[in-house]
Amino acid sequence: MLSARYYDGKTATAHEVTILLDGAHLLLHSANGNVRWPLTDVDISERLGNTPRRLSYADQGHCEITDQAALDELLRHSGIHHDWLEHLHHSLIWASVAAILIVITLLAAYRYLLPWGAEVIAMRAPATVLNKMGNSTLDTLDHVMLQASKLSAARQQELVAAYSRLKTPDAAPTNYRIVFRSSPRMGANAFALPDGSIVLLDELVAATQNTNEIMAVLAHEGGHIERRHALRMVLQSSVVGLLVAWYAGDISTLLSSIPAVLLQARYSRDMENEADLYAVRTLQLNGLSPCLLSSMLSKLEAAHVPAKTEPPTTEDTNHKSPLDYLSSHPATLERAVLICPRH
Amino acid sequence: MNFAPPDNIQPATFISPAPVTPQTYRFEFTGSGSEYFKIWIVNLLLTVLTLGIYSAWAKVRRMHYFYRNTHLDGANFEYHGMPIAILKGRLIAALLFIGYSVAGNVNPLLGIAFFILLAIVMPWLIVRSLRFQLHNSSYRGLRFAFDGDDRGAYRVFLLNPIFAAMTLYLMAPYAHQQIKQYQHRSSRFGATYFSFTAGAGSFYAIYLKLLGMLLALSILIGVAIYEQSPLMFGLPLLFVFIMVYPAVKLPNLIWNSTGIGRHRFYSTQEILPYLWISVTNLLAIVCTLGLFVPFATIRMMRYKLEHMALHAQSELSEFVAGQTQNTSALGEEMSTMFDVDIAL
Repeated sequence: MLSARYYDGKTATAHEVTILLDGAHLLLHSANGNVRWPLTDVDISERLGNTPRRLSYADQGHCEITDQAALDELLRHSGIHHDWLEHLHHSLIWASVAAILIVITLLAAYRYLLPWGAEVIAMRAPATVLNKMGNSTLDTLDHVMLQASKLSAARQQELVAAYSRLKTPDAAPTNYRIVFRSSPRMGANAFALPDGSIVLLDELVAATQNTNEIMAVLAHEGGHIERRHALRMVLQSSVVGLLVAWYAGDISTLLSSIPAVLLQARYSRDMENEADLYAVRTLQLNGLSPCLLSSMLSKLEAAHVPAKTEPPTTEDTNHKSPLDYLSSHPATLERAVLICPRH
Repeated sequence: MNFAPPDNIQPATFISPAPVTPQTYRFEFTGSGSEYFKIWIVNLLLTVLTLGIYSAWAKVRRMHYFYRNTHLDGANFEYHGMPIAILKGRLIAALLFIGYSVAGNVNPLLGIAFFILLAIVMPWLIVRSLRFQLHNSSYRGLRFAFDGDDRGAYRVFLLNPIFAAMTLYLMAPYAHQQIKQYQHRSSRFGATYFSFTAGAGSFYAIYLKLLGMLLALSILIGVAIYEQSPLMFGLPLLFVFIMVYPAVKLPNLIWNSTGIGRHRFYSTQEILPYLWISVTNLLAIVCTLGLFVPFATIRMMRYKLEHMALHAQSELSEFVAGQTQNTSALGEEMSTMFDVDIAL
């Protein structure tokens, strides 16, 4: 015995009916008569929480049923089963499994799918996009934290000349523009812009006497340019930003945040390693020691952390601090060992 | 085996109960946060795993859950939208959205051209969207429908907003009133049309009060900054309180001015409970990194629906079916993608 309310689809009038299973048919019984619906053609709405279920047959109207247990009983006798998705939506265990799977999927997509997709797109990006990104970034940086270089014209020319003499792997172009600037706030640093310019700060030039060490840094930055790391970072953080904005429900914040993303973009560990590898290949191609890069890295770190100057012990090299995973730059020492094993 | 209907099948001839005196029916909402959480999280998982494809099915499931948990006079609402139709609409909307974003970045002129194109298409889409939404909603076996014409849509969704902008938004409350009037007067349940009686004056009253409160608060903040008072950090929080005012008063005004046939709707939301729900929802969502979202949705929905009622002059059973029409989901998905609020 299953009681239901029947609506004929032509008026809003409710009719109290009872539904019985009659072989391959459902028998709708009311005070005014009986109707038989062939079971296979009856559309039975899926179970969704404790909401009323709905049986409908062609354009013959529908029944609303609130007695879930009685309907389940009737369906069991008729041999109709729940579909698996229905089960999924009602089990607490499955809800927990789903929650965990969401986290794992998102992490995996963030770690593997996103960098891969960004690389595929970035490597095909037209030069105009890269130039535009480079120009606007340099303009913003000039405005915010960079000053004119105080380096002598002779020294600048000397560095440019040395750099243009470098041979690069894969016959990559060497006409990257070196932009001389100074910035007491950023300290000893150099960074690549998407259009192929490398911003070289006076503070970095002052950190070493060895021009080849500067070449090692430039080769590293060249790796960032060659592998289009800036664009890849922008793409990756845009996708993350888009998803976060969608989740938080506000698209408009995204559009205004793109310049900020560009400014804050720090390369991922993978990208730093990739650029290191590129620099090592460049140095070897030019008959220079890869250790130039690692020695320069140590000098840069010393310039940034003056207090921490004592030589590291082997224990330190094996120890990965938890901070390592958080920072986007792989610990300098770890990189130095990778680049130059006898370091 | 052959399941052809037997010969004795006849349309049922049931007799409706006798009519009665006027009565007020409250909307009831029976959704539960924990129940919806399970649906929500499985929807989210499948959407992520299918790179968004499942989102159309997820939407249908969500709509089913909300509609079927909304009751009036013992009967529940029903959603009939088809996932495939929604998916098609979403794909086209996503392509246009990406096109619009890219066009603006590649060439500002192209971006402007795209924007104008969208502005011209939008009213047409909104009409399709409303048709889809209403056509796919039913109650007591009768479908809702939207009969608004394109001409009216271009007037209220394109011309009026342009005029409003040109008059420094002096005409914005009027534009809002015109939208609601167009929307409600073109909607019907079965063969019975909705009515809308609020004039522009009552919209102006709400917007002017809002403007007054915003001005007063701005002056207070200005004074606080001038006086170097620590209040200058606390006062901006009052903006949240002020923005709740239209969020409560506008739906009240709109529904209290809406009727269907001889019956009238009532909405009695209040500011303090609404504010309490909004603020606690927000805090809980932040603290649970979003896991509270389904609970928050249910809480807010319950508050809104349970403060709505229908004052009926006669039995609700006397509504009859009207004409049906063909609809597509494109408009609905487009307008949600481009963030056009056409909340009914």
